[in-house]
Amino acid sequence: MSSIDPMDSIEFDRSIIGVVHDVGYHEVTEEQVIGFANAIGETNPLYLDKDAANDGPYGSLIAPPAYYTSIRLEPGPDPKVKFGTTGFNASQHCEFYEPMKVGDTIKAKAQVARVYAKTGRTGTLVFTVRRTTYSNQHDRVVTMVESSFVLRDMSQ
Amino acid sequence: MSQIYIEDVDLGDDVGPLVKEPTRNQLNAFTKVWGTSVGRFTSDEVAKSEGFTGVILPGNMSMAFLGQLLTEWCGYEGKLRRLDVDFRRSVQPGDKLNCTGIITDIEVVEQENQVTLDVFIETQKGERALQGTAMVVLPSKS
Repeated sequence: MSSIDPMDSIEFDRSIIGVVHDVGYHEVTEEQVIGFANAIGETNPLYLDKDAANDGPYGSLIAPPAYYTSIRLEPGPDPKVKFGTTGFNASQHCEFYEPMKVGDTIKAKAQVARVYAKTGRTGTLVFTVRRTTYSNQHDRVVTMVESSFVLRDMSQ
Repeated sequence: MSQIYIEDVDLGDDVGPLVKEPTRNQLNAFTKVWGTSVGRFTSDEVAKSEGFTGVILPGNMSMAFLGQLLTEWCGYEGKLRRLDVDFRRSVQPGDKLNCTGIITDIEVVEQENQVTLDVFIETQKGERALQGTAMVVLPSKS
């Protein structure tokens, strides 16, 4: 029995899949780390108390794992998926290899890892998965994030 | 901050809850640090035009609460190594969020004590806003 792949009829720029782009640099500052930590109601001294953090396991203030979400990046590659009437973030897969520390210079690279479709009871959903890696000034990857953005056609 | 060790944990153990009640001021602080101007996070009017009853929290902000749950639990010597979340429902300022986890696997991999958990955020209505899995590395007492 043959099956029809819904992606066959979805128009998008296939040429950019897997192509890695530089999407920006970021200086990890005490102000932004503490600002981020306060915004989410953190109480961990490693993120908030310079003296305690200096005496802690990392020797300086570090950023909470989710701090990467506060780093503004250039838009990165866009597969220009022509589908749907609305979109939202579906999921995130994050790997944390070592903390970002105050004073670090973070370099971000991004790519569109894949575009795929799923069809269920509510119709077809088209997912775009972007992979962003954050490296420090020592060229060590500190965080990797795969974000999945879904498009759906609410008029179906 | 107290320290938990691999010897202290068992399959099925609960982690949390960490109760979060994000305020409008915290949301504003988060969007300011992030530098976003996306209307559904910053303007009630825009959020209502998109079918919400008012501004909603970015999924990233809710996800950060799960990060807090896990890093507070694992202590200075523990490490949050992986966090995977699905965004299921929107969260608004004023919601009461129960952030919890349950240990589903414990194994030693390359001399690391790896603890895998299911993690959730439920609202005061009992609705699951986020759910996912995480892996945390814990130290040994020995």
